[in-house]
Amino acid sequence: MENMQAVNNFVAAYLKKKGFKEAEQLLEDLQNKDSAPIDFHNDPELAKFIHHFSQSEDDVARYQDGYSKLRSWTYSSLDLYKHELLRVLYPVFIHSFMDMVAKGHLQEARTFFNNFREDHELMHSRDLQKLEGVLSQSHLEEMEFARSLRQSKVNIKICQYSYDLLLQYLHKTQSTAMLGVINEHINFQVSSGQPSSISDDAEVVTLIGSCQDTANQINQKEIHWGLLEDSLEERLEKAGGLLSDSEKTEEENKEGDGDETKKRSVESGKQGASTKKLKKEKALNATAKSARPEASTTPAAPRVKAKLPLPLMYIQSTEVEQSILEDLRNRVQLSSVLLPSVSFYTFLNTHNGLNCSSISHDGSLVAGGFSDSSLKVWDMAKLGQQGGSSILQAENDSTSSEHVVGPNGGKRSYTLFQGHSGPVHSATFSPLGDFILSSSADTTIRLWSTKLNANLVCYKGHNYPVWDVQFSPVGHYFASASHDRTARIWSMDRIQPLRIMAGHLSDVDCVQWHANCNYIATGSSDKTVRLWDVQNGECVRIFIGHRSMILSLAMSPDGRYMASGDEDGMIMMWDISSGRCITPLMGHSSCVWTVAFSCEGSLLASGSADCTVKLWDVTTSAKVPRNEEKSGNPNRLRLLKTLATKSTPVYSVQFSRRNLLFAAGALSKNL
Amino acid sequence: MSNVPKEAIEVIAQSIGITNLSPDVAIALAPDVEYRVREIMQEAIKCMRHSRRTVLTADDVDSALNLRNMEPIYGFTSRDALRFKRAAGHKDLFYIDDKDVEFKEVMESPLSKAPIDTSVTSHWLAIEGIQPAIPENASVEAAPSDGKKAEYKDDGTSVDVKLPVKHVLSRELQLYFDKIAEITMNRSFSVVFKQALLSLATDSGVHPLVPYFTYFIADEVARNLNNFPVLFALMRVARSLLQNEHIHIEPYLHQLMPSIITCLVAKRLGNKFTDNHWELRNFAAKLVASICKRFGHVYHNLQPRVTRTLLHAFLDPTKTFPQHYGAIQGLAALGPSVVRLLILPNLEAYLQLLEPEMALEKQKNEIKRHEARCVYGALLRAAGLCMYDRLKMFPSLLAPPTRPIWKSNGKVATTNKRKASTDNLMQQPPAKKIATESAMGMMPINSMQADVQGAASSFSNTVGGSNIGVSSMTRPLSNDNMLGREVGGRVSKTSTVLAQAWKEDTDAGNLLASLFELFGESMLSFTPNLSFHSSFD
Repeated sequence: MENMQAVNNFVAAYLKKKGFKEAEQLLEDLQNKDSAPIDFHNDPELAKFIHHFSQSEDDVARYQDGYSKLRSWTYSSLDLYKHELLRVLYPVFIHSFMDMVAKGHLQEARTFFNNFREDHELMHSRDLQKLEGVLSQSHLEEMEFARSLRQSKVNIKICQYSYDLLLQYLHKTQSTAMLGVINEHINFQVSSGQPSSISDDAEVVTLIGSCQDTANQINQKEIHWGLLEDSLEERLEKAGGLLSDSEKTEEENKEGDGDETKKRSVESGKQGASTKKLKKEKALNATAKSARPEASTTPAAPRVKAKLPLPLMYIQSTEVEQSILEDLRNRVQLSSVLLPSVSFYTFLNTHNGLNCSSISHDGSLVAGGFSDSSLKVWDMAKLGQQGGSSILQAENDSTSSEHVVGPNGGKRSYTLFQGHSGPVHSATFSPLGDFILSSSADTTIRLWSTKLNANLVCYKGHNYPVWDVQFSPVGHYFASASHDRTARIWSMDRIQPLRIMAGHLSDVDCVQWHANCNYIATGSSDKTVRLWDVQNGECVRIFIGHRSMILSLAMSPDGRYMASGDEDGMIMMWDISSGRCITPLMGHSSCVWTVAFSCEGSLLASGSADCTVKLWDVTTSAKVPRNEEKSGNPNRLRLLKTLATKSTPVYSVQFSRRNLLFAAGALSKNL
Repeated sequence: MSNVPKEAIEVIAQSIGITNLSPDVAIALAPDVEYRVREIMQEAIKCMRHSRRTVLTADDVDSALNLRNMEPIYGFTSRDALRFKRAAGHKDLFYIDDKDVEFKEVMESPLSKAPIDTSVTSHWLAIEGIQPAIPENASVEAAPSDGKKAEYKDDGTSVDVKLPVKHVLSRELQLYFDKIAEITMNRSFSVVFKQALLSLATDSGVHPLVPYFTYFIADEVARNLNNFPVLFALMRVARSLLQNEHIHIEPYLHQLMPSIITCLVAKRLGNKFTDNHWELRNFAAKLVASICKRFGHVYHNLQPRVTRTLLHAFLDPTKTFPQHYGAIQGLAALGPSVVRLLILPNLEAYLQLLEPEMALEKQKNEIKRHEARCVYGALLRAAGLCMYDRLKMFPSLLAPPTRPIWKSNGKVATTNKRKASTDNLMQQPPAKKIATESAMGMMPINSMQADVQGAASSFSNTVGGSNIGVSSMTRPLSNDNMLGREVGGRVSKTSTVLAQAWKEDTDAGNLLASLFELFGESMLSFTPNLSFHSSFD
């Protein structure tokens, strides 16, 4: 009997500690009423069972109850503080759910989840879809998303008064389960003063837990977003007679430049660059000093030095340089009043097999990657002639025998590149159009020559499908993004990657080079965009704000801004130096497959699965944040024009050097 | 608790031969199965996105399985999304319609056609931000000015909502439309109809009705091919619409053209012998010509398409005479250069077919004979028109082919002409020259080349630039040859001359001679030039 008393006391104490008042009461009643109690001590298993049972029953009910009460309390709270308090609901909801799953109450967890999921459907539908599948403890362990959620805390900014309100409520109602969840998983950043504005909740949207802190930390790092010095644009200005002795830009970059040059000289020493090259670089620096920033109205982008040794051939070929300079001279200055001309390349009869398309810088070559592992390249200059004769052949079968080329006589209108053994997911032209890179689900990247029409190199390194590959703006280097959650930097002459960027929590879906080649940006299924330093492979920025998988990235030519498009049709414009979203551009109703900045950076073009090309005004969109701080008018955007295609989803858009916009897509009838 | 019931697990277990699956196992497995399925679907969606699609296919699921190192599921591969059918009587039960196919049937059936190869076309989606109204672009009508207003609103509304604009017709316009339609269909001989046509041709307010009228015309022409008065009335309505300067009819031409062409080259128009379908064809021909003249520069492929259709009708011996007649009239209405380019080269061959039909002893059917004669008349008219045009251009050429003076004249004229043309069009291949000079833009030379297949061999190499010199050198030579022969034995190389008619500097005199050869005296009445007559006589 003594033994039993001990057990009872222990249970009572435990229940008290855990705050299970009802259970405690129940136990007491039981003890008082029942003069002949069940033989606890003879049957410890039973005691354990009862204990467990009472606790678990209660537990689940407490979660259910606690959450629904908290919810109704939140909804009836003061308007001014409501939105802040509402933010608390979502983390509480998912953690309650996961706690219940972890404790093995699967059935209840499911009902709980279904009861309340509607509340969060709008903001977090994709997260919920993932979590819905969590049906046992082991799933919690296995699923990266759930694990990272459970291991980390969510930061929520909240004003003092809201915080007090919440605490009061929790203490008053004694909802310990909720209190536990909140204590365990939410980190309140209490700020004095007024509650923050409703629209400012971008940071809460993506709950990646630990990222929040690290992201803030990472985003403190310094970034040199300026343009490469001695770019061709700059040379053009020089040629145009805009010489001046202003060295303002030089001063701006001095501190940064110091160690960079050191690094670079070490680097180039390592890489065994010839002295000739060093000399050349010196000469370039000298000329750069005499160059002056753009004499345009926009503040000139500071110049930075390349951290990578730049490929020589790009600089040396005068013929190429001349043609590029010619293009630059003939460039149309686009603005919100002068919109670009758009040339659209339509792929016909793709039988749903076209996975990607790419257009060379001058628009003369168009490449398509197909799910049958082939890569096909069309030469648009030749196509005009062939098109005519093929129409002729189609319509005059009787006379075709007279022609050299038969109606179906094997002559294709394109060059077929075969070599991959899986769907081709991405293709990119080198800046001069003489090479194509293609990435495939067979985990390889292949380099093709458009001059020789042959495969030159097969780059193996990724372990899973390579979703995207992009040439750097100067050629030679390229970056790839893969299902294996890494992005890699390669150079054309090595079959091993130079850098591996690891850190994304899910597939890396797209990759893009910064204008100065010192950084790459990657977009991922974990809904973040990261910026990586090419030199040391470190993540230097995390951009959080998208609500779904990121599909496309573009960097502004001045290196200051970045645009990213996601699965839901949202485009976000980011300020690279601050890591903050300038403005979300909403308008597309489906996946944004591609975005591109015009050459002077004044317009953004986007192509989407909703069969439109949209043109956005970057200058006003980007300028807003400065005024916004005073006027308080966020989310401003300027959609300049919507160009609808005829049931053709737009796969790629690309501005030529003369600012002609090329777009491509596959005609699909069953949309 | 999970979406996969344990019964499903049991069924699957049985299907793979496990009969004694304990219920506990099924219950434990069910949630895991659901989790795995979700996992696969998540990967499949990624694959779908990276294939730039918004519809999940069986391929995506296969590649997702592949990503997880699992065997794909065979037998479902298809490029298109699977079509699910709803099971009758169940709300949420779907199945894939999978028919049994007889193996033998598949083996014996002829090979299906190879799918058309992928190709790329290019067009202008926008020119300086404005979408041109070409067939490749989606119609821009849907989003008129109000969309723009929303874009430039200054308050920065976050989403620019564009609702599909409903076309609202005022009650008056509806009444107007109904009335006109009724008159056209039933009372096309009344005075009211004339006034209605006048109203359509001048009223500036009918613009909202244009799509309805074009649809009305297209619809009724298709329905009333046997009803001659209605057809004629509809064509008149079409002409009035085209005449109206206030309306913007270009976007609807594609709807209108087929009806008009139908009225030009249809096999039967009207059901009575008394129906004067010749007149209707003439009318339609004029209409086509006026459309090509007016909109040819906007739609560069409009006239080539029309001429191609007509030429096909003309060259097809299986077509009836009225169809040929329509085609000839249509081509002739497009101008003398079209005639020269397309009809003359085929003239001789065609006349050989036609002549027996006209002869009393060979064709007993009087109607047929009459038809053939009508076609002959049309040909004569067309050739005469062309000849007249030529003579206007080279008045100095008015000499009968047999006179020796002609030779020197002709030479002077041709050299002059050639000089002039080279001045204008330096270094253009002859094909291009023709295309640009014939004011209305000919068919691309490529298809031309194939169409006049019966022509002399010198045709086949006109595309290459290298041949210019040779061909222009040989031409005077051949002319001389021909002249010599003509003087000697009057061996007419008619077909060659006609075939070369499209060349600018072929001598008009030669041409006339050939035509004269074919048509006889009656030809001359179509070349109303007195001096010519006198000199010839």
